[in-house]
Parts: sequence; structure tokens; C-alpha cells
Amino acid sequence: MNSSLIVVEILVGLLGLGVLLADLWLPARNRRQLGWAAALGVGIIFFVSLKDAAEVTYAFTAPGAKTGMFVQDSLAVFFKQFFLLAALVVILMAVEYSDRFATGVSEYFSLILFALLGMLFTASTNDFTLMFASLELITITFVILNSFQRDRASSIEAGVKYLILGGTSSAIMVFGIALVFGSAGTTNFNEIAAAQKTLATSPVFLTGLLFVLGGLLFKIAAFPFQIWAPDVYQGSPAPSTAFLAVGSKAAGIVLLLRVLFSAVPAITAQWHHLFAGIAAITILYGSLCAIPQRSIKRLMGYSSIANAGFLLLGIAAVSKAGATGIIYYIAGYLFTVLAAFTVISVILARTESDDISSLSGLARRSPGLAAGLTLAMASLAGIPPLAGFVGKFLLLKAIIPLGAQDPVYYGLLAVAVIGVVISIYYYFGVIRAIYWGGKPTDLTPIPTSWGVRGALLLCVIGIFWLGVMPDTLIQISTPAVEVLRPELPLGLQAKP
Amino acid sequence: METGLPHYLIVSALLFSLGLLGVIARRSLLVMYMSLELMLNAANLALVAFSRFNQNLNGQVMVFFIITVAAAEVAVGLALIVALFRKRQTSHVEDLASLKL
Repeated sequence: MNSSLIVVEILVGLLGLGVLLADLWLPARNRRQLGWAAALGVGIIFFVSLKDAAEVTYAFTAPGAKTGMFVQDSLAVFFKQFFLLAALVVILMAVEYSDRFATGVSEYFSLILFALLGMLFTASTNDFTLMFASLELITITFVILNSFQRDRASSIEAGVKYLILGGTSSAIMVFGIALVFGSAGTTNFNEIAAAQKTLATSPVFLTGLLFVLGGLLFKIAAFPFQIWAPDVYQGSPAPSTAFLAVGSKAAGIVLLLRVLFSAVPAITAQWHHLFAGIAAITILYGSLCAIPQRSIKRLMGYSSIANAGFLLLGIAAVSKAGATGIIYYIAGYLFTVLAAFTVISVILARTESDDISSLSGLARRSPGLAAGLTLAMASLAGIPPLAGFVGKFLLLKAIIPLGAQDPVYYGLLAVAVIGVVISIYYYFGVIRAIYWGGKPTDLTPIPTSWGVRGALLLCVIGIFWLGVMPDTLIQISTPAVEVLRPELPLGLQAKP
Repeated sequence: METGLPHYLIVSALLFSLGLLGVIARRSLLVMYMSLELMLNAANLALVAFSRFNQNLNGQVMVFFIITVAAAEVAVGLALIVALFRKRQTSHVEDLASLKL
């Protein structure tokens, strides 16, 4: 087979192993520098990935078969660059945060790279076997990343909760894959797509598919598999939480797009009310539970659930417009959440308390950090002209034309708008604490490294880029969406 | 009576339900963890049975993946439970309640 297709994956794997080995020869005080090396490596691999071929090519093919486990197409290339960018910012964040780890600083960097490797493979998944293997690579590395501060009881607790709930959801997913394999006779997405008309009537296949969806909904923290998110987000070290919020969620989203819009679009069309219901409940649950939160990381956990609901609006729209909305929204979410967590991890690297009130006086201590966090919160709340606004607009625009034909979609629209309104309230609670909080006790400026400032600047530029010039990313994502083949449900049309 | 595919699937579904019940109902982390492995092995049994009766070896390849992943998961999980026990002298889920609103 043509190994140039997986050159990005090979490079990331080698970089992870290299960081792990370099740890043996470096004296303990220099291990932080390994983080800079890892970030540089990921940056170089990002530029290598820009040259990736965009025509559809398969790898790991069976002899004589036209399709394979691994597919390289525009959607895969888009998400690979997405994951590399996310990992780059997270590693820069981790270098700043690494003072908080008692031991194993270089292992932390290499584990981020191994999780990245799993994410890169999910972007190219064209088979349930590869899907399972790459998702488990992500889940197991995240168990370690979440419990990395072994001296803190809350970090271990977060790790154990992720281990048990993540293990349960992957066991459910594996059983689903077994049922899908048994009824379809294959695990390849293209072969399943070819047979989906007959499989749509097989109860075994439909049960299996539901179980598989359970595993994917866990990854993006959507109802009814959202229960882990607040605890794990709060307990984990800030860089792990950031990577969990962006990378792990995007891995779930790209797999949902592939399975629902590429492997079984006909069945997705039958189930459009199910996805509308899950999206509505997820948005309401995340938004309502976020209101009373006092911990900024826990607030981000509930906000991540609400955002999973917004992403599912695009699935419920069962159209290419919905898929474009999802891709735009997740790209905006990348810059926004990473900006927020860069600031949060810089602050938490110095103080123990993650209470929102401890942000008071940040505007006077470090105006740059305060501005970054404010922009991120405003973008999450969907304030124009920032990235979050355009993402929400595209998703809502995708479901409005369906509302005239099916009143369920108007209900979904109403729930989404209510969710946006509630979210403005709790995101602005954070902004209020930054600028108009109580009397701050400590007014010394927070020192930041060049890496963190660069990462924050990159995220802020991204937030404005996606907010002011939506056309560029829509053009980039058009070929990625062309790969997918969503089918509209019977009786519904894209334009009424 | 001939043993056919449905028999294996019923055993597999029973094992899966027992595992799920264990994860939900039991309160010791180690027992919950064993129940998790039971769920994975239920899937293994179903895959092997489907493979055997459909004359398609792909399912057995998947079983190897699951066994490998389960081994990795156990290594990480047991290490984490030991770390928890050192820190808190407990392996019961009721004691894992410090992260709450």
C-alpha cells in the first residue's frame, strides 16, 4: 500500500516516541524544553499536512477491493489540520502548566502526541474496526492525561470517572459493532452504505447502530451520555481539559459525520426526529445546569455539553448545509475554547482556586489575558462579529427551511434560541467577574511566556477571522462537505 | 438440539446485560471494572459466533483488537485504582464525591 498517505500519522507517532526517549538523556531541569521541541515538531507536521492530496484515496485495502479501512479525502485533511492546530496550542499551554506536575513532564507531552495520533486516525476512519482502535487510543491516553496530577485527589477522581464511564460507553459501542458486523457481514462504511436499504429493515443492525451512536455521543458529551463531562472537566489539569474539550469532541463529531452521513444516510433520515430530540435535550441540560456554577472549569464542562447540542443541530438538519454548519462551528469552537483555556491554565498554574470570583481584578493585573478570556466568552455566547456567532447562525439557518415542513424543527429552533439566551447570562457572569468583580487581593501581573502569548494571539486572530470573513472557511470546507452524502427524510425538501 | 447462532447470541446478550448491571449496581471500583471486562468479552463472543456462522474472518480480527485494547485499558485502570487507593484508602464510588456543585 501507499504509505505516503499516512505520513502525518507516522511523523506524529515518531515525535511522540522521540519525546519519550529524549526524556532518558535529559537532566530533570531541562525537561520543560522538550515541550518547545514537541510544539515545534507539531508545527512542522502541520505544514507537511498542508500538502496532503485531497482526492479520495483508500489505504489498508483488502486484495481486490475498491475500498479500504482508511480514507484520505478533503474531510479527513480538514480535520487533520484541525487536530494538529489544537495539539500545538495545547502543548504550548502544557509547557506553562508543567510546573504543577510532580513528575513525568515529558510523558505528558508524549501522551498528548499519542492522543493526537488517535485523533488523526479518526479523521480518516472508513471502517468500524479502525474507528474502535483509534477511539480507544484517545480514551485510554485521556484517562492518564486527566489523572496526571496524582498528588491532587480531584485529578485522580476525574481520571477514575472517565475510566469507568468511558469504558462502559466503549463496551456498549463494541457490542454495537458486533451486531452491525453480524447483520451486515462487513464493517466497511462504503460496503454498509451500498447495502443500507436492506439493512434499514433489520432490527439487529438498527440496534447495533444505536449502540455505536452511544459510544460516539459519549465522546462529544451529548445526552444521555453527558454525565461525565462536568466532573472530569473540573478535576483534570487545565491543558488536558482543553484537549478533551476540543480534540476529543471533534473526533466524535468527525466520526458522527462519517457514520451518519456517509455509511448510513438513509437510516439517519429515518431517525431525524431522534437527533432533533437529543440536540434539544442536550442544549437545555447544558445551558440550565451551567447557570449556578461557581467553578470556571465546571462551567466550561456544562458549556461543552450545550455546545455538543448545537453541533447536533447540524446532524438533525440531515443536509449538506447542516454539515457545513457543524464544520464551521467546530472550527470556531477550536479557537474560542483554546483561547479560554490558555488564559485559565495560566491563572490556575499559579493559584489553587478555580472559582469564578478569583478572576476578579484580572483586568488590572493582566489586561491581555483579561481581553483574551472576554473575547472567548463573548464568542461562546454568540456575539457578532466573533466566530461563535457565525457558527450558530449557519446551524440555525440549516434547520429553518425544514421548519416550514415539519413543526418539530420550529420547536428545535425555539429551544436553540432559548439556549443561546441562557448562555449569554452565564458567560457574561465570567466577564463581569473579570472587570467588575469584588476587591482583588493580589494585583501583581501574571507572568506569561512567549509561547503562551503566541498561542493566545493565534486563537484571538482565529476568532476574528472566522467572525469577520466567514467566506474563506466556507470555501475551504465546501470540498470536505462534498464527501458526505446526507439524504433528506421522506416528505422534506431542502428549500420549501 | 443443534447449537446454532441464536444460542451464542443469547449467551452473549446475557453476559452483556450482566456486565452492564454490574457497572450500574455494584459500588466497588474493582467489581465495576471486572463487569466492564465482561461486557467487552460479551462482544467478543458475539463477534466470534458471527464470524463462524457467516464464514467471514473479519470478525475474529476485530476480536484481537478488542483483546489488545482491553489489556491496555486494564493496565491503565488498575494503576489508577492503586493510585486512588494510596491517596484516599478507598476503592468505593461513594467516596468519590469531592467534585460536586
